[in-house]
Amino acid sequence: MNKTTITTDEVKRLAGLSALEFTEEELEAFVPEFERIVELVDEVKNCDIGNSELKYTTHKLCGCREDEAKESLPQEEILLNSPKTKKGSFCVPKMLD
Amino acid sequence: MKIDELSLIELAEKISKQELTSFEVTKFYIDKCNEHSDLFALLEIFEDSLDRAKEMDEKIKAGFKGKLAGVPVVIKDNILYKGKKASCSSKFLENYVAQYNSTVVQKMLDEGAVIFARANMDEFAMGSSTENSAFGVTKNALDPTRVPGGSSGGSACAVGAGLTPVALGTDTGGSIRQPSSYNGVVGIKPTYGRVSRYGVVAFASSIEQVGPITKNVKDNAYMLEVLAGNSIHDETSLKEEVPNYLSYIKGDISKLRVGVLKEIDEAVKGLEVEKSYKNAIKFLKENGAEIVVTSIPSFNLTLPCYYIIAPAEATSNLGRFDGVKYSRRSKDAKDVDEIYFKSRSEGFGKEVKRRIMLGNFVLSSGYFDAYYNKAKKLQQKLIEEGKKAFATCDVIVLPTTAGEAFKIGAKDGDPVSMYKEDLFTIMANILGVPAISIPFGKGPNGLPLGLQIVADRLNEGTIYNVADFIESKGGEYARL
Repeated sequence: MNKTTITTDEVKRLAGLSALEFTEEELEAFVPEFERIVELVDEVKNCDIGNSELKYTTHKLCGCREDEAKESLPQEEILLNSPKTKKGSFCVPKMLD
Repeated sequence: MKIDELSLIELAEKISKQELTSFEVTKFYIDKCNEHSDLFALLEIFEDSLDRAKEMDEKIKAGFKGKLAGVPVVIKDNILYKGKKASCSSKFLENYVAQYNSTVVQKMLDEGAVIFARANMDEFAMGSSTENSAFGVTKNALDPTRVPGGSSGGSACAVGAGLTPVALGTDTGGSIRQPSSYNGVVGIKPTYGRVSRYGVVAFASSIEQVGPITKNVKDNAYMLEVLAGNSIHDETSLKEEVPNYLSYIKGDISKLRVGVLKEIDEAVKGLEVEKSYKNAIKFLKENGAEIVVTSIPSFNLTLPCYYIIAPAEATSNLGRFDGVKYSRRSKDAKDVDEIYFKSRSEGFGKEVKRRIMLGNFVLSSGYFDAYYNKAKKLQQKLIEEGKKAFATCDVIVLPTTAGEAFKIGAKDGDPVSMYKEDLFTIMANILGVPAISIPFGKGPNGLPLGLQIVADRLNEGTIYNVADFIESKGGEYARL
């Protein structure tokens, strides 16, 4: 069976894509654990399903509703769950100097 | 008769006929929840529940009719109820307050329900034991040293311990059925699209469904009728008419073709569930059903297929938790990148991080075709195999889990072993077909085991007929 090797660098690359930080200690524990999980999903990578093409969406959809303007949630309510807001907007630290 | 000895249907009838008030029933359950708070099934009992119950009593007096008029209901913590917290048992959403009602909540409120509490769960529904909740571990309703299963562990425990007549769960890979099995209750994952997911925090959108967890099969059928149906807010919710599921319960299975999968013959050997699974087949045969050996040749690939598709969708769905719009932001974040990285690293638990990483792995450049694309093709193949299997039989029976509930902490540090908890349940999610778990048989410690009954798309009625037959007539075998 064709086994995928997981390196620390690969895990660091994935952490970047995932917007997650790991300490060196966490990484050390994560790499072998992740390798075991990848070994599980490797069963799909290594299975033979012939040359099938993805033909359709797997589930039936009921179609879109009419494109009619409807009332949205009020701005003040939307902002209630944000950790920081200012003058009706989401607030983040300065991006440009 | 004591209130918690009444079924959901009996309770609804008595409240409607004003033989019981919603207030006394709701108060009874709230008091019982408080008495059993050590189970940690619930994260919060809503403060205004008794006011809502009083309001329902007034409405009932004034002539209000509804299937759930005045009936108390528990929801899983990932289902939005306007003005109430919905934290997904995550520190990230600890203070998130729902701004609108999910379709399922709205449907229950329209029928007069008193939604009185939210139940603990594995964080973002990722897990099989409710040990991944950021707020504490729920105990099994029948043995507090064991897990209640997951991810809808709080909901199933609450029903199993008699803390509510009904609870809602969500099921992405077995998250209603496995905990139902572990707590000795009945839980269904409906056909994909049968129940709208609008207002349910998304984990793996293409395979998950909301479903009811109840004490018995008839209650479950009654409840699904309330929940099912199209929503204009959810393109994947089906427009097919919602049947009266109770009308399918006929007390007769004599012309039924029951499929058994040859692929699981080897898998069940030596498992705690082997005897009860075989007894179930024996019971169905003795009662006139025809047993058909059928096949889903790629069955053994359903588990790894799921662990590609579900994390891939999860990683996209959880991308919205960026520390800007929802709830939590790291106090140490000094720039925008740090808001993302630090908020997510502090806010998400271990298992959620694992799945996000796995999702990004199978979707990332160089791996996308080998994993994600291949898994979607495999899912397509499995759906075709499922269609062929259901052409030979009306239902397929298989175990819900390998055995009875395991001890709290028994699978710590072994995520793959935890993932394998869903070995028998994932098939229904990958195929998009309905599947129920009902209590059937006992494990070595006298704890309940579950039997799954799976049918083709939209055949929940057939499932309920078979499940009710087994529940009402299979007593002798079910006790073994």
